[in-house]
Amino acid sequence: MAEDLNWAVGGEAGDGIDSTGKIFAQALSRAGRHVFTSKDFASRIRGGYTAYKIRTSVEQVQSVVDRLDILVALTQRTIDENLDELHEGSAIIYDGERSWEAEIPDEMTAVDVPLKTLAEEAGGAIMRNIVALGAACEITGFDVEYLDEALEKRFGGKGSKIVENNKAAARAGQEYVQENYDLDHLGYNIDTTDNDYVLLNGNEAIGMGAIAAGCRFYAGYPITPATSIMEYLTERIEDYGGHVVQAEDELSAINMSLGAARAGARSMTATSGAGIDLMTETFGLVATSETPLVIADVQRSGPSTGMPTKQEQGDLDMALYAGHGEVPRFVVAPTSITECFWKTVEAFNLAEKYQTPVFLVSDLAMSVTEQTFPPEVFDMDDVEIDRGKLVDEDEVDEWLDAQGHFRAHAVTEDGVSPRAIPGTTDAAHMSTGLEHDELGRRTEEEDERVHQVDKRYRKVETARNEEEWDYREFGNPDADNLVISWGSNEGALIEALDYLEADGIDVRVISVPYIFPRPDLTEEIEAADETIVVECNATGQFADVIEHDVLTRVKRINKYTGVRFKADELADDITDKLSEEVPA
Amino acid sequence: MSSDVRFTDFKSDKQPTWCPGCGDFGTMNGMMKALANTGNDPDNTFVVAGIGCSGKIGTYMHSYALHGVHGRALPVGTGVKMARPDIEVMVAGGDGDGYSIGAGHFVHAVRRNVDMTYVVMDNRIYGLTKGQASPTSRSDFETSTTPEGPKQPPVNPLALAMASGASFIAQSFSSDAMRHAEIIEQAIEHDGFGFVNVFSPCVTFNDVDTYDYFRDSLVDLQEDEDHDPNDYEAAKKVILDSDKEYQGVMYQNENSVPYHEQHGVTEDMSEIPDGAPEDAMDLVREFY
Ligand SMILES: Cc1ncc(C[n+]2csc(CCOP(=O)(O)OP(=O)(O)O)c2C)c(N)n1
Ligand code: SF4
Repeated sequence: MAEDLNWAVGGEAGDGIDSTGKIFAQALSRAGRHVFTSKDFASRIRGGYTAYKIRTSVEQVQSVVDRLDILVALTQRTIDENLDELHEGSAIIYDGERSWEAEIPDEMTAVDVPLKTLAEEAGGAIMRNIVALGAACEITGFDVEYLDEALEKRFGGKGSKIVENNKAAARAGQEYVQENYDLDHLGYNIDTTDNDYVLLNGNEAIGMGAIAAGCRFYAGYPITPATSIMEYLTERIEDYGGHVVQAEDELSAINMSLGAARAGARSMTATSGAGIDLMTETFGLVATSETPLVIADVQRSGPSTGMPTKQEQGDLDMALYAGHGEVPRFVVAPTSITECFWKTVEAFNLAEKYQTPVFLVSDLAMSVTEQTFPPEVFDMDDVEIDRGKLVDEDEVDEWLDAQGHFRAHAVTEDGVSPRAIPGTTDAAHMSTGLEHDELGRRTEEEDERVHQVDKRYRKVETARNEEEWDYREFGNPDADNLVISWGSNEGALIEALDYLEADGIDVRVISVPYIFPRPDLTEEIEAADETIVVECNATGQFADVIEHDVLTRVKRINKYTGVRFKADELADDITDKLSEEVPA
Repeated sequence: MSSDVRFTDFKSDKQPTWCPGCGDFGTMNGMMKALANTGNDPDNTFVVAGIGCSGKIGTYMHSYALHGVHGRALPVGTGVKMARPDIEVMVAGGDGDGYSIGAGHFVHAVRRNVDMTYVVMDNRIYGLTKGQASPTSRSDFETSTTPEGPKQPPVNPLALAMASGASFIAQSFSSDAMRHAEIIEQAIEHDGFGFVNVFSPCVTFNDVDTYDYFRDSLVDLQEDEDHDPNDYEAAKKVILDSDKEYQGVMYQNENSVPYHEQHGVTEDMSEIPDGAPEDAMDLVREFY
């Protein structure tokens, strides 16, 4: 297990918790340390508990654990909320001059720092969190110069005065602790390395993947936790010749994206559960008009408005089945932040190659988690763009019927028809959600209907055979115990393996990024004595499809508290589950 | 190609299934004439149609076209135009499609001022679903779902457009072929969102808002020498006049700057490189 340090800052929403955490995470990343962050936040802007947690190590970290070493508490609630993660060696930084009297259990180290006063001396009370970061540096022996770099990155745009004030605030915190406390016994020691990491979250990775893949148009309607994809693209896509529109609602967002896609642009929309509900009518149109479109669903806790700032993987059924009638589609679900990037690139290729909607299903935990990576994992030279059967002017002739009409929905062996975009000479045609013939003209003729339905599903078959629908694998490939998961649970599972191994439990982990089509896991499940499917929902939506595929019962671990799995907790859950009877 | 394009080039070989005498025939002919007269051809034109009898128009015309879901034609047109400012975009649908299920989109398409033409075939009834009240039906108009009339005042689409900041507002009558085509032409040539509410009678389900009714009651603004479409106050007066029905261009903002020019959305978005953009590694570096 990595020699790691768990740090958190918590307070009320509006206290600048998020930016404080981000600055520290960036400083650690600058110092060549790996970082994995998680956020507790309530669905309100001011008031309400919120926290930003960082787990950091010189080795890769990809999960949260049940332990907190250093806590910057701006409110009592921050301490209370985290009590079960604090331990004897924990240090709690707080401001004793504030109106509340911190109640800190005796066994923990209370570090009372006059955050506000020191911040005011450095230039403004607003910097009290930076004072706390300086104090944290001192406690952990972390070189404050890395913090300087992060402060420069954060405030550089606001002028050197602001940067200098912030650095002074950090120094003040550091010196205060140095002068008033002797904390060597805590034994924290943050090693650094020469590595240059990048620090980003899943939504940023999706946005970056979209631009890398040539996405030019994005329309969306704000909804947690998908909005940051839109914010990312809004700031950058214009540099690449694209444009973002904040639509009036999700109905509009998907229809605008569809229009742009029809006109030939690589186009995308993203939303979360409730927004997918609104978009559902248009899925059928996207599929029937055979328009390439990427639709991202960053899942949050439902149903209805549920718990909008909480984790859940409850939309899988919707991604697979939403829409009236039968709608061919692909469902791709990244399992990590790097995969958020690569699967987005792949989603655009699948959409254009097979001219059908592609659901990119992510989840809240991944969307808000920042993690460090060596930049090479996002090597842009590896991005390949395949536009499928997009015909240019001189290919049009091959696809005209005897009367010179373009056969936009030509019934082909692989199910994929030629695609002509507006402006292509002699290929003008109609696209419609009505059932149509090869030319796109409405028909209710029995044979035509069957031809078109078969054709649309045939491309899914083609894709099933021609693409790789593989999975990621961890642990011991020969273990008798098989754990299957999808989405952001992968990281926690990988780390759970360490705990399980320490307890002598041998596990094979399969993490599946393709939900439809998906890899056939029959052999793997047959080879195992026990199979457990892990997911963040109450009913086991992925377990259901697996059971459907392999016709055997599997065990299930379902978490639907609104909080993602933690590595140590998951290891315990797996241990418990293995000793249970297999469901009848 | 454009120089010798005739309006019949915009006609598909699919025979319309509209009822004989339906106003939509005239509406469509005017649209095709206007497209040809403004130098467009089927290969550079994109028609987005709504759902309804009116929405079938895309099927009977020949161009790039999309026949979408009920009420969402405007967002589709918006997306097409953003991706391809080089393409002429025309959106067409019914009063139910545009002012009922799609009313929200109408307001926002108007205020975005995307450079496209929106033609609403206003027959003051739901035709395709066989004669229910529409948002423009008179408040005492009896239908299968409103036996005593809708008992609510009709929507005034022109006023709705004006309140939303429209840069071009016009109304025409599908059977006044010349004028109708002229008005659509003006809408196409307008730099921005060209909105035309077209009286397009439903001969099957609406026996009140008939050809005769419009012929007798319509006042042509062209004949009113005092009406200056650039004058907002004058436009307001005719648009809010509940005693008379007008045809012509009510309002046109001479200073209209269409969305794509305002926001610099002028590139053809359909062209992309074979791999990631040259400077894509900058996107990664940003996260250092
Ligand atoms: C979501 C949805 N609701 C209802 C319908 C049924 N529908 C089809 S056309 C229509 C009304 C059309 O009225 P209008 O837009 O005035 O066009 P018209 O037929 O009169 O030209 C309705 C309600 C539908 N297709 N989709
Ligand atoms: S029902 Fe009315 S609107 Fe529909 S085609 Fe017939 S006349 Fe036209």
